[in-house]
Amino acid sequence: MASLSSDEWRAICDKFTNAQNLTEVESRNDPENDPFRSKYKARELLREIYCSLKSFEVSEGEEDGGGESGDPRPSEQPVDGQREDGFGQGFSGDSPAGLRAAKLGAVEYYLGVNHVDTEELSAGQEHLMNCMKLLGRCSVSSENVSLFIHVRNQLGILWAGRDETETAQGFLETAESIYQHYMKEDGSPPTDMTEYFTTEEKLLTHQERTKRFELAYTHTMYYLAQVYKNLGQTERAATYCHSTLQRQLQLNQFNPMEWALNAATLSQYYITKGRYMEGRHCLSAATVISGLAGEVPSEAAAQESETENERREQLRQKRAEIARCWIKYCLNLLQDAKKLLEDNIGELDTDRQDELKRARRGEEEEEEKGRKSALLFGSEDTFDSIASLEEKVRCLFPLDFTEARAVFLVGQNYVTQAKEYFQMDGYVTDHIEILQDHSALFRALAFFEEDLERRCKMHKRRVDMLEPICTDLNAQYYLMIRRQLMFELAETYSEMMDLKLTLANRQADTQSLDSHTIKKFNHLCSASAKYFQMFLDSLCSPEGKVPEHLEEEVLRPALVARFRVARLHSRLISSSPSVQLDNLNRSLENYKYVVQYCETHPEAATTVETELELSKEMVGLLPLKINRLKARMAANN
Amino acid sequence: MAGASVKVAVRVRPFNSRETGRNAKCVIQMQGNTTCISNPKQPKDGAKNFTFDYSYWSHTTVDDPSFASQRQVYKDIGEEMLLHAFEGYNVCIFAYGQTGAGKSYTMMGKQEPGQEGIIPQLCEDLFQRTGENTDPDLTYSVEVSYMEIYCERVRDLLNPKSQGTLRVREHPILGPYVEDLSKLAVTGFTDIRDLMDAGNKARTVAATNMNETSSRSHAVFTIVFTQKRRDQMTSLDTEKVSKISLVDLAGSERADSSGAKGTRLKEGANINKSLTTLGKVISALAEMQSSKKRKSDFIPYRDSVLTWLLKENLGGNSRTAMIAALSPADINYEETLSTLRYADRAKQIRCNAVINEDPNAKLIRELKAEVERLRNLLFSQGLQELQQQQWHRWCRGFDPLPAAAGPHSQWDHA
Repeated sequence: MASLSSDEWRAICDKFTNAQNLTEVESRNDPENDPFRSKYKARELLREIYCSLKSFEVSEGEEDGGGESGDPRPSEQPVDGQREDGFGQGFSGDSPAGLRAAKLGAVEYYLGVNHVDTEELSAGQEHLMNCMKLLGRCSVSSENVSLFIHVRNQLGILWAGRDETETAQGFLETAESIYQHYMKEDGSPPTDMTEYFTTEEKLLTHQERTKRFELAYTHTMYYLAQVYKNLGQTERAATYCHSTLQRQLQLNQFNPMEWALNAATLSQYYITKGRYMEGRHCLSAATVISGLAGEVPSEAAAQESETENERREQLRQKRAEIARCWIKYCLNLLQDAKKLLEDNIGELDTDRQDELKRARRGEEEEEEKGRKSALLFGSEDTFDSIASLEEKVRCLFPLDFTEARAVFLVGQNYVTQAKEYFQMDGYVTDHIEILQDHSALFRALAFFEEDLERRCKMHKRRVDMLEPICTDLNAQYYLMIRRQLMFELAETYSEMMDLKLTLANRQADTQSLDSHTIKKFNHLCSASAKYFQMFLDSLCSPEGKVPEHLEEEVLRPALVARFRVARLHSRLISSSPSVQLDNLNRSLENYKYVVQYCETHPEAATTVETELELSKEMVGLLPLKINRLKARMAANN
Repeated sequence: MAGASVKVAVRVRPFNSRETGRNAKCVIQMQGNTTCISNPKQPKDGAKNFTFDYSYWSHTTVDDPSFASQRQVYKDIGEEMLLHAFEGYNVCIFAYGQTGAGKSYTMMGKQEPGQEGIIPQLCEDLFQRTGENTDPDLTYSVEVSYMEIYCERVRDLLNPKSQGTLRVREHPILGPYVEDLSKLAVTGFTDIRDLMDAGNKARTVAATNMNETSSRSHAVFTIVFTQKRRDQMTSLDTEKVSKISLVDLAGSERADSSGAKGTRLKEGANINKSLTTLGKVISALAEMQSSKKRKSDFIPYRDSVLTWLLKENLGGNSRTAMIAALSPADINYEETLSTLRYADRAKQIRCNAVINEDPNAKLIRELKAEVERLRNLLFSQGLQELQQQQWHRWCRGFDPLPAAAGPHSQWDHA
């Protein structure tokens, strides 16, 4: 820095420190009605620094006798996305010319970020591209690699914001390859951009340099995750999210509760993909890392201080949310196993069960192998706790009742945990969603239960937890949730009705049922019909008019509900011919509705093909049955 | 449920003085429902077309026959929504767009004749209609609240002195609500206007280089409209309550920090800069996956306050309209295009609550057996006793639907 006096240089450094301080610290306290005040001030300082550096460049250029001020190189714009990674060309990064370019580039970078932050995107873009141009003349070295990556990160954000995702992808992927190349070829802790404007005594330690550099790259990964997500490449996006989380943990740059919640959320991605081992790993890590956030403050402590109260609230909420992610793990595992094991009418297929049990051994070995190759979370002190938590629940499909019950119990335990925080009063929707999961856990478990009496009791538990809520909720505000509950209750009652009938038929091998059983059967049958009807009524207008046109999301449920109401009415048992007649007429009405609706709305037919076909048959057959009944009644009179 | 999807309109404003001073070019053209935006950098092949329920040309003045006035926007959108409210639906109108694109003008307007926005016009219309009521058994009451959501915190604009932020909660009977938010009963349009004025003064408004009065927050003006009918025979009252939510969203370019993003409508391409938002990204990813597979999952990311409060508006029992405000100037091309894309996506918004139905294979099998049994039974018992007409139909192998399906009245009740 021969031509710049040390005083002048110190002044530049001071300005820079000031600008940084304004941008990062002061700006947070800017008043709401002047939110960019500090950033505008910082911008002025950066401009002054730029001018000083520029004038210095000119004066030094004269001393050098020409040099790069009359740069003969054509100033072509570096175009990213073409794998122009800046290695082995142009000025070397540590040459005076290279350093000067990096410094000017850094000021352009900061100006660019400043403009973007203050909503002046086009100007921001220009500054960032100027930085790119300056760097385009240099080769990558430990002096400038950090800037190489930072500027591309920013351009990635800028272009993604304009829906130009491919352009963003180009910048970010180049940043990624620059990082990888640098780490392979050099790997020494690189200069941080702030050090360009720091006096000797304030240079960073190697450790600090590495930390900042790695953090910049973590951001690149994170931005790439978003770009891939926006491009619909979910698999790739998930891998980049996973790596981002892993880097945060490794580099010890994370907030435990936030990290844990993110890992738990990622588990939901894996679970829906059917990748239970990865899902379980994320959840176990989430539980262990959330433990690092410490104890929940007591209620007494929370009443004493607002901060403790806030902390208590946060910790309880987030842990309850992680518990809910675990519930979904158990639930999906059971449901997927059920799907695998059921025959064409939804009963346990024992041949399939035997077959899968035989295949089990190989699967266990697969799991072991998979676990070794997967991207694992953890540091030395958390690794064992994560592994031991993983052992508490299997990630292979349960194949019989004992195995299913083990998964169920883990899920039920998390239901209890989650409900402690998400109580009905204050968290209506959340509370009910947890209950719905609990009910679904029972439903899945019942599939594995061979004893029909006990199976029926499990369904009764479902009714007991859902029925009171369905009746009490405000119909206007919780319409959607109530519809779901009504449908589920209707189905559960039907299921119980079928089970009761099977049981009764098993005990008495005659066709005739005793009056107690008939009463029970009719009760379950009417209850089921009642809830299907409630569901159908909920589709009516505020004036109670049946809709002429069913919206897509309720089309199939509404037609199926009609179909099932029809069936239920024809199943009611009565010795009175006139009651029988009523029931058959109501049954016919509902079958007719399905047929009629599909006639006037031909597009509906495809969503209920089988139901429609059967409804047509019944519309043809039931009148004959009704007429026979009428004839018999007339004859008896 | 008919027409429950979101109604979407876009509206382009005149140049402001700054743009006129800089000789800005207009990049927006409209024809009927279609809006066309041309890229100032590639004027030849850069034009893109979007079709909405309405495209409002308000770039010129009243002299232009295609000019859309405040009145027309209200007539098309506000009035329809008001009528739905009278029917008992919850309704919601919200405005979206870049800072300075004219959201607040469309929603609030100015206090000059012919310049009022949707909110004041709707309120005036509401009282006009209730005032015309002559039925002694029908009474109305109107309550309003006005809040601001700034950085995910809820502030009561009708009680701006109240300190701290309000909590949003759900009650099993009362539904979602903001704890301690003031709700004031009003009896006429002037009451509402005064409250709105007071509230607007309390709003967080900031000056930036882009725009002099930029809304940094979402503002939600809620009218709770109750229609009470007394039945003379039974002396019982029945009530119909509808909530009218009028939402002025923060500038779209600030979607990140102000939380507009959380409306889940904005699934655009913006990249979250800070790693503190990693959760949102992972959530979106998990959501994409689960909607593909129709599986049950739990996404811990709490909805933004706004989404949460409006969730009932995005489906089911309500009617929703969105107006996207557009800047005409070439300098804002990128942001305006992004607003148009967002509005385009909004057309498909639906509530995501689905009915998970059990497979009914067993039921189908039983019913098939029943059909078979009935057929055989009827065969073996001889069918002569039955009506000739039905017999024919049956022999032909069952028409899709018997022409004489019975008296029509049977179809009307369930």
